[in-house]
Amino acid sequence: MRLISKKDFSNFVNALINDDSLNIVGVKAKDQKFSFGPLESAGDLRLDYDVTLLPPKKYFFPQRETLFGYSLSKGFVAEKPAETKPLILVGVHPYDIAALLHMDEVFKDTKSDPYYSERRNKSVIIGVNIQKICKNCFAPQMGTATIDEGYDLMLTDLGNRYAIDIGTLKGKNLLAKYAKNVKTAYTRDIQLVGQKEHEIYAKAQQKLDFSPDRIPGLLEKNYEEREFWEEHAEKCLACGSCVLVCPTCYCFDVKDQPNLSLNKGERIRTWDGCLLEDFAKVASGENFRATRLSRYRHRYFKKGKYLFDRFGFISCVGCGRCSSNCLPDIANPVTLFNDLYNYTLEKGVKVGPPTSPEVEIKTEGNIDFVPRVAKIVKKTPMTSLETLFEIKLEDGSELSHEPGQFVEVSVFGVGEAPISVSSPPTKKGSFELCVRRLGNVTTKLHSLNEGDLIGIRGPFGKGFNPDSLKGKDLLFIAGGLGIAPLRSLFNYVLANRKDYGKVILLYGCKEPKELLFGEEVLSLEKRDDVEFKPTVDWCPEGELWDGNIGVITTLIPQVDFDPQRTYAIVVGPPIMYKFVIADLKERDVPDDHIILSLERRMKCGVGKCGHCQINQIYVCKDGPVFNYSKIKGVPEAL
Amino acid sequence: MMKPKVAFFDFAGCEGDQLQVANLEEDLLALLGKVDVVCFREVMKECDEDYAIAFVEGSCTRLQDEDRLKRIRENAKIVVAIGSCATIGGINSLRNYKNLDEVRKTVYGEKAKLFDTYEARPIDAVIPVDAYVYGCPIDKDEFLHVVTSLLMGKKPDIPTYPVCVECKKNENVCAFERDQFCVGPVTRAGCDSCCVNEGTICWGCRGLVDNPNENSHKEVLIKYGLTVEEAIGKFKLYFGWQEGKK
Repeated sequence: MRLISKKDFSNFVNALINDDSLNIVGVKAKDQKFSFGPLESAGDLRLDYDVTLLPPKKYFFPQRETLFGYSLSKGFVAEKPAETKPLILVGVHPYDIAALLHMDEVFKDTKSDPYYSERRNKSVIIGVNIQKICKNCFAPQMGTATIDEGYDLMLTDLGNRYAIDIGTLKGKNLLAKYAKNVKTAYTRDIQLVGQKEHEIYAKAQQKLDFSPDRIPGLLEKNYEEREFWEEHAEKCLACGSCVLVCPTCYCFDVKDQPNLSLNKGERIRTWDGCLLEDFAKVASGENFRATRLSRYRHRYFKKGKYLFDRFGFISCVGCGRCSSNCLPDIANPVTLFNDLYNYTLEKGVKVGPPTSPEVEIKTEGNIDFVPRVAKIVKKTPMTSLETLFEIKLEDGSELSHEPGQFVEVSVFGVGEAPISVSSPPTKKGSFELCVRRLGNVTTKLHSLNEGDLIGIRGPFGKGFNPDSLKGKDLLFIAGGLGIAPLRSLFNYVLANRKDYGKVILLYGCKEPKELLFGEEVLSLEKRDDVEFKPTVDWCPEGELWDGNIGVITTLIPQVDFDPQRTYAIVVGPPIMYKFVIADLKERDVPDDHIILSLERRMKCGVGKCGHCQINQIYVCKDGPVFNYSKIKGVPEAL
Repeated sequence: MMKPKVAFFDFAGCEGDQLQVANLEEDLLALLGKVDVVCFREVMKECDEDYAIAFVEGSCTRLQDEDRLKRIRENAKIVVAIGSCATIGGINSLRNYKNLDEVRKTVYGEKAKLFDTYEARPIDAVIPVDAYVYGCPIDKDEFLHVVTSLLMGKKPDIPTYPVCVECKKNENVCAFERDQFCVGPVTRAGCDSCCVNEGTICWGCRGLVDNPNENSHKEVLIKYGLTVEEAIGKFKLYFGWQEGKK
């Protein structure tokens, strides 16, 4: 540990400011509050602050950032971001450092976010131990009031001097280059630092009635307690303040901004929040967390349970910003968790000791936000709403997808939409997407012509894994547009027919004119190695239909299958699953013999943006194809 | 591609939104490269009835204005309401809380009988509207966003969340923490919280979000020191028509 007088520390900060090759940011006063901002002189620095309005994450994951540019003539242009100066953050409290360490895990999970990691790698964190504690802060309870990692230098105010703990070589070098009169600390100074750190723990006004490691278990026991959640969520303004100021929240939205000439523009990423009304809404209009209750509860579960299951930490550092920013005063985690704890005690329910989840964070390369350019080679209208697009990647490569995976389709200036691949991987040279005209992207896609360029990212997610189904009997059940992802597996099975047992396809849609892949599926009736049964919910007068009339479940009793040998592959609108699964269970199909594909708002495709999250599951990464046995206990899945 | 013809019309309002358009400066030139303006009282004399996009400012405040609105609807492929008065009824709706005969007497005195009136309303209370540019006045960037979206054939991206989102992103100190009273928590965002950025409050000019939690926000206003009446008054300035509809 080192020592520096306050005067020499000011000189150190001023020396950093005077070096034009560096970007110095520190805590400054803002009205009656504090915020991180560019430092013009060491005198602006307020290391005696309680909490900043926004956490320092804004420097690594900004409120708004350009991901790349596009031009109608040149395609997608990943503009090299201007060489940014190394960022030096002065005055970060331990809880915010802890939060950055959480963010690091999230942004490097599976694939690393290049925008975030580049900024993080280029930064220097000069922390400071808390001197004044904000009234809503409960960092001491969360074990983040002090910290021994995640900083390059850590300051402790000792009156007329600062103690400096050197965390990294980077920090040491910075001190050596810019600071003068740095001395080695005496034992009594080191003891004093320990004493100061200890004192912070006594200063917290917010106290949990129980150990925070019980939070995941406490939540798990109380998901279904609607009355409790309703009572707390009733006053929620759905304003998103609690999540926007949170140092560990990372959900984002991505959108295109065309310039006025319309032939150029950029794709931007902005902060988003799961408390906001449309967060989990998909293009068809379905909102998977439409109620205040479901969004309010989701926030606590995400912080206290879902991220714990995934990463092994409770994603709350106790900074208290959410409580300070909630006008109806319902966002305070301490109050909520204490209420929940006491509610649980009153009910006589015991919360078991914490179990540590198995955590394995692997990083395989970077997320590529920039799409590959692809060409529409064929456009075949199928119904009034759906069109089949045949797509070829411009670089001549294969998509190399697994049946059931999806791609993110970009239309210049409009944005991206997740679309499942309808062709089997056995089709070479191009792939097919069956697209319903629904939202902005798909509507614009329908107006494009053969030869027009689009963007493709992916394939993403987990598919049907056709190898695992080899030798089994297969019962395909498709409802409406569900035939699109299902077809990628179905046609793969037909192409490798001898590898599979009995094959049955049940396909239902609303009325005959909505039948997708009409000729293709109807020709199945001629095959003797496939049993095919179509149905329509109803047939308007004057239209021809000699098949079954009735919802898809009316077909299930009409087919004969051995539930032990059969795997049912079910894809359809959300409402369909409940009924089909119930009927399959009636026929004694085991849970792990039911495979389904879920639809959610898959925005980023790489498990980061948060939009497709169902409880602890990211549909884009853990799905969209799931084994029913794995999701039947997930409350929001079906 | 033929440039689409656009026209501007105004009803009961201050024409401040059209002034925002006239003040677009170099963006106006870029815009004129993409559209032909055939009717715009604020900047030109001519007015042509052949147009594809109609921008309508102002609220509808009397029965005889409905015919004019309907004719605009018939002529235009796309009707865009611009500004608070046209999108949500605006401050004109303040009078909806009063006796309309008295309102007329106050404004026109003895000649009140000559001037017909009814409850001020947004134009979508009279004709279907395809797109909205909210605000009092409208925000230039949002206007351009709506125009470019329409030109590209996509639905404009107008926030469904409240102003608090933008305030937080802009790292504003909450108006309530400055002992002021704000309706941002129930007001549709999209203005980049421009008023609060300047140290004042959100007055609600973009109207209520689709599903506002008004009861909770009124409780907040009262908790922070307003009387019940004052809290209700906060909702009257811009939300008159939206509140009256319930």
